[in-house]
Parts: sequence; structure tokens; C-alpha cells
Amino acid sequence: MKLTGFLLLAASNLILTATAKAEIRPHYGGTLHVAMRAAPSSLDPAQPDWFGSRNLYPLIFDTLVTLDERGRPQPALATSWEAEAGNQRWQFHLRQGAVFQDGAALTADAVAASLRAANPSWKVVSASNGVTIERDSAAPDLPAELALPRNSMVKRDSGKILGTGPFAIMQWDPAKKLVLAASEDYWGGRPFLDSIEIEMGKSVRDQMISFDLGRTQIIELAPEQAHSALGRDRRVESSRPLELVALVFTADAQSPEESKQREILSQSIDRKLLNTVVLQEGGEPAGGLLPDWMTGYSFLFPVEMDLTRAQQERAEIARADLWNLGFDVNDPVERVIAERIVLNARDAGLRLQLATQNPVDVRLVRVSLTSPNGRVALRGLCAALGLPQPAFGGDSVDDLYAAESALVKSRRVIPLLHLRNVTAVSERVRGGREMPAGNWPWTNVWLTPEQP
Amino acid sequence: MQRATRNPVYNARIPSMFHTRCARICCLLFSLLLLPLESRGDQWQSPVIQLAQKIVAATGPGAVACDLTNRSSLGNTTADEIHRQLLGELESLNVHAAPADQAAATVHVTLSENLQNYVWVAEIQMGNSQSSVVMVSLPRPQEAVAERSVGLLTVHKALLWTDDNRILDVALPAENPPHMIVLEPETVVLYELQSGRWQQQQSLTIPHSQAWPRDLRGRLVLQKDHLFDVYLPGVFCRSTPAAPLGINCRESDDPWPLAPRQFPLNAFFAPKRNFFTGVLSPGIQKQTTTSPFYTAAALPRDKYTLWLLAATDGQVHLLDGLTDQTAKLGWGSDIAGVRTGCGTGWQVLATATNADARDTVEAFEIPDREPVVVSQAVEFDGSIMALWADSDSATVLAVMQKSETGKYEAYRLSLTCGQQSDFDGDR
Repeated sequence: MKLTGFLLLAASNLILTATAKAEIRPHYGGTLHVAMRAAPSSLDPAQPDWFGSRNLYPLIFDTLVTLDERGRPQPALATSWEAEAGNQRWQFHLRQGAVFQDGAALTADAVAASLRAANPSWKVVSASNGVTIERDSAAPDLPAELALPRNSMVKRDSGKILGTGPFAIMQWDPAKKLVLAASEDYWGGRPFLDSIEIEMGKSVRDQMISFDLGRTQIIELAPEQAHSALGRDRRVESSRPLELVALVFTADAQSPEESKQREILSQSIDRKLLNTVVLQEGGEPAGGLLPDWMTGYSFLFPVEMDLTRAQQERAEIARADLWNLGFDVNDPVERVIAERIVLNARDAGLRLQLATQNPVDVRLVRVSLTSPNGRVALRGLCAALGLPQPAFGGDSVDDLYAAESALVKSRRVIPLLHLRNVTAVSERVRGGREMPAGNWPWTNVWLTPEQP
Repeated sequence: MQRATRNPVYNARIPSMFHTRCARICCLLFSLLLLPLESRGDQWQSPVIQLAQKIVAATGPGAVACDLTNRSSLGNTTADEIHRQLLGELESLNVHAAPADQAAATVHVTLSENLQNYVWVAEIQMGNSQSSVVMVSLPRPQEAVAERSVGLLTVHKALLWTDDNRILDVALPAENPPHMIVLEPETVVLYELQSGRWQQQQSLTIPHSQAWPRDLRGRLVLQKDHLFDVYLPGVFCRSTPAAPLGINCRESDDPWPLAPRQFPLNAFFAPKRNFFTGVLSPGIQKQTTTSPFYTAAALPRDKYTLWLLAATDGQVHLLDGLTDQTAKLGWGSDIAGVRTGCGTGWQVLATATNADARDTVEAFEIPDREPVVVSQAVEFDGSIMALWADSDSATVLAVMQKSETGKYEAYRLSLTCGQQSDFDGDR
């Protein structure tokens, strides 16, 4: 091969080389600046989920099990586990060498105490190298359940909260600011970042200004902002749909007529319009409670508006009750959705009015899906919505569908939309990828060196 | 619209079951014979039978109209094949396909999927009664994509090994029968080629008291007086010289060899990080320190060896024993030298990311101090985690983590002179 041949090829490839990005190895060091809307007053994972908690808790706390990118349980603080026949009694073997951020070793007793505090109905017994968990009934999804943030290992010491996670709390101004520092001897390896600073309670507008000024590297966006933000040279990451928007009635229907009215209301709502116009395709219309990526069968729940049928069925009812529709007055998207629902209902001959305070008959809610495991997620939704816990006949996909279908048919809840989490991310942020539960393992995030 | 759910039940065994089963087997065999070899879907047989049985449990024998929609990642050819198998299976269970206006029931089958599984759903409508739904699910396989590599100087990639565990390095000692040594974070695994397949012979645990750093790196170096040495952050292991094979490990900050034996240069590795500190041993002539770096490549010259170091600041350092020049070449963190006999005889393989956000490896020469591209880039379906020259510099070991599956794949990269249009079948 002559050298001139190589040079010719070099010339032809010069442009390609010039435009290629370097694939560089992870870089240790630096501080990641994050802003979020939520303003939690406590970092205790026992409190109900709040928007952003799924990203924050894994920085400070570990769970016995984590879920991989396909939702499969993987070892974390537990290195292995096994169930006895019937899946009611489980044994988890603990990792050696994990320590709380005060240096105290994670013991089986500490694990048992932590799990008992989060789950008073569980029977948790510590042994020499692990814990045994006994449930009231078969719990085939226990490993996935243990991956939930509320089952994090927590040491509560005179008002202080400690975890075994990859970062330690350096500064905590409740609802305002959290500063975390990398734990040098973390059992999973020291994080790439030196520290993370999280500004809380920031409006989307403030977050965007901070981002554009280069002060913040990760900010939250509203689902409807995904497209507009894309046009401004930001890297925008959209998750799978991870949040349910639904109407939840405060009580079961008291008569067949009321049940019929709820059915009519569901038929009258134009979910596709809500998604395309109000949310700018920031989600997906939902007829079921769980999103399609989780179940594969969501198409069985219809999402099409059927106004003709709704009006016909309305005509079969003598009179329609007046319902007060509650919503979060601080959430502009909720207000727009609620207003559209009132209009849709009116077209079908129903009577709804917006209510900014109690009592309400039906409430518009946004609830995060806590797990990529369908059964765990459905249980979490029911708990968050105040619905009866679902009854699963078994652990097959048919059983999941049957349980979800029964909840939808009960008409206590009318699913409307599944929303994506949207974040704007600086080009300097590398590493990690969003997991199916919507958490982004910032432990694996690293920052490219600043250009001189 | 409401949809009823029926608990699936199996039909009772019927007296003519034997004949039915024979007919079913004959039908399946016949339909398989008609299929092209590569599309024989034995893997679908079990879920097809399950779904057919569930459908028949709802419809009973008779005429049904059955159509199928594919909303999964399966190809249309596969979906058609599943449809054919399903119709065959239904036929063997005395359910005959018929047009909708002549059928007692309509069955709409949807091939769907979720995060982990394929989900096949059959919606069954019996006359004017409420519809029922039956489903089966089966794990989604992890598919491989073969790649094509074309260039003036061609980079070939041959798959050596796939593993769920992270692969740090792979070595192939020159032995008969062939052996392969795979370095993983916690073990060194020895394989022997038996009947064309790698069979695990031994797994040697690597003891270490400290947690491994993130982006763990490790080096497997073949030796003459014993089989191999292992370099890991803060740990050094040596295989035992006599059988049975074992390893002795100790905490150590001994410098790692940077290149094959003909280039005796070592460098100290930061025990809690993923890079070399920049301290060299014994040094390149008088140069004993440089910036922290990730990888190094040696390019022999007539009177000296030019060392290229991919530094942690994104620059490439060129050391010749006298000067330490830096250049922004747009290369990735992983580089390795390779001896080919093509062009100037030695090339550097360097990682990059192309416009499609895929990791690539391409070959460069450095005739003076400016790199010249000498091959087309070969693409990978994931992130390249390691790039190490092998013991004779003739090939380079590349480890990739697949984007879709998260699995690790080790490839042997080699270069041949001239443009070739061969097909590097990964599988």
C-alpha cells in the first residue's frame, strides 16, 4: 500500500474526523449543580414520594435490591436472596463492608429495623448474615418492592438521617438546598463526581435562567416544554411515561346511575386533544392505569372520545348530579386540563364545575409510577390514590390485566394521560442513563473537563 | 367500552386426543418444512400452543375469523410466521379459519411487548356477548446486529466472548488446545476450546479488601514462565507456575505495563481512579512524568519510539524521549498501537463517537506529528470500555458494553491492508 493512498483517504475522511466527537473515559471530579421544583422539608424516604425523590434518594440511601434497565432485580445491599415455596417467606443475604455515613457498619439488625419501620405489617427477623422477611400472603414481587425508595436502609439518629449511599449529606437547608459529597469508601465504588449541589423550590423559569447562565447542569422541564426547549440548544431527555394523570372520585358510586355517569364522563373526555394541544405530546393518552411499556396490553383500554355514545347513554339517565372537580391550583397544566374536562363533560350533558377547595366529588391528580414492575406499580398507584389494593389471582400478565381492568371498571378512577419526565441537561454531563423507574443514576454521572 | 375478563381454562381431554395430537404434529412439521431455514420458529412453538389453547378454551371448536396485528419489535416476517403457526395450531384443535361473516367468533391477536417480555393478546368476540381477553407472555430475546466494515485499510472485528459480567481484558495464550483467559472484576476465568465451543475450565477469585473504583479497568498480561499477571487498581495477581492453576494476589501499586514486551515502559495507576497518574517507569529516555492519562500507544520509529498518551484532559501527548507535545485530535480516551506491515507498518487505533452517537474505532498513522486517518471507522453497538494491544501488537482487544442489552462483548480487532468488502459476521 502506497503512502499516497493513505493520504488520499485521509483527505476524504478529514471532515468526518473533524466532526467526530471524542468518546472519552469517565472523568473524576467536579460539582454537579441541579435545580428542582420540589421543596421537601425532609429527606426521610419514609415520607410519600415527591417529584424528584426517585433521583435524590438513591444518592444518599441504598436498598437491598435495585432494578436494572429492564426492570429486573439486581443485587445491591443484598448480594443474593431466595424464597421458600409459596413466595411468602424470603431470605436476603447482606453485603459485607457497607457502612452508614457516620462510619457505623450496616448490620442485619439495622436492616431489619429499617424495613420494619417502613413496613409495620412485615415480619422481619435478622440473622447472622442477613434478614428473613415474612409476608401475610405470597409476595412474588418482594425483590422489586424492596427496590422502592421507601425501603431504603435508613439510620435515624436524634433527628439526623443517615444512609449507606454513594453520597453523604454535607449541608441541608430544608426545602432550599442540599449539598452532597462523594463517599470515598462507598461499597459500590467512589462516585465520579466530588459533590452535588441541589437547589430546591425553584420555578421552571428560574431553573431555565440558571441553566442558560451555565450555573446549573440539570434542570426539570414540564412535559409540554420538551419540544420548545429542544429548539434552544439544550440536550433534552424525555423519559418513558412515568406519571399518571387521572380523575379520582372520593367515594364509590352510590347508585347504578352514578356509575353510568362516570362511564359517560370517561367516554366524553378527549384525551388525544389534551395530549397534543395542552401537553404538546408530552405524554400519551391513557385508558388504563399502567403505561404500555410496562404491560404491553394498554391498547385494550380505549382512549378514543366517543361523544355520540356518551350523549346516547346520558339520555338514558333522568338527571345528572353536579360534581365539584378539584385540582392543584398551583399547577397551571392541571388547571387547563380540568377546564377542558369540564367542557367535554358539558358536551355530553354532564354537570361539572371547578372547585378550588373542599369538598370535592372528583379530583384531578398526578401520581408517579414508583416501579417498572407492573404489580408493584399498581399497588403503589392504589395506595397513592386511596383505592382498595388490587387483587392478583397469580403472577402472570393475565392476572395483572384482570386486576387493573377491575380497578378501571370500578370507576373510582378514570385514567387520562401518562406523562413523561423531561429534563434539560448540559452537554458537560455524561454517563448513566435513565432507568425504567425514571430515576437517573447520578452516581454514574460525570462531568467533562471545562474547556480552558 | 367495557371488556370482560375470563379466567382461562383448558379443555378437558377428549377421546380423539391421540389422533388430534398426531394431526397437530403433522401439521406443524409440514408448515415448518415449508418455511425457509432461517425463519423456522421453533422458539415460538410453545407460546403459540399456549395461546391457541387459551383461545380454544374461550371459543370451543368451530369456525373463527382470526387476524393478527404486530405492534411489537418483531419483524413482519416473524409475525406472519407466528400467525401461520397459530392458525395451524388452532386447526389441530378443531378451530377452523373462516371469513368473519361465516365465523362463530372473531379472534383479534396482537403481538405486543413490554420492558421484559413479548405479550401476545387475543381479543375474542363471541357473537353479541362481551369480548374476552387471553394473553401469553414470553421473554424477549436479546438480538444481535451484524456490522459491515469497509475501508482502504480495513479494521476487522471478531467477537471473542460475550458475558453478563463486565469484561476487563481477554487474552488468548498460544496453546493447543486453544485456551482463553477472561478477566472480570472479581474473577479470572479460564476457558478451553472443546468441539468448537469455549468450555469453562476454571474460575479464580480475585481477593481484594478495597471496593473497586467506578469505570474499573484491569490488564491481563501473558508471561513466559507462568501463564499470566493481572493488574487491577491497587492489586496485583500472578498465576501459579505449576498445576493446578491458581493465582496469588496482593495489594500493590506496582506500575502496569503500557504496551507489549518490546516496549518496556510501565506507568503507575491511580488505585481509586480510572487513569494512570502520569508517573512512568523507567521512563521514556529522560521523561519520567507526564500528565495523567488513560491509555498509551507505542509507534516505533527508526531511532526511537514515539509514545502517544490519551490524557485525562482530552488532549493527546506525544512523547519521544525529549519533548512532550500536546495536540487536540478529537480522539477518545482509548488508543492502542498495532503492527500491521501496511503503510508505515504501525498504526494507532483510537475510539471516537460518530454522528449517529455510536462508538467507533478507526486507524491512524502519524507520519510526522499530525495524525492521518488510514481506515474507515468500524462501528460498535455500544460503549467501548477497553482497548488493549495484545502481547505481540498484531491485534487489539476491544471490550464493548451493548447499549440494548447491557451485556459485555470482547472483540479482537485486526487490520488488513487494502480496501475490503467482507462481512464481519459477529455471530
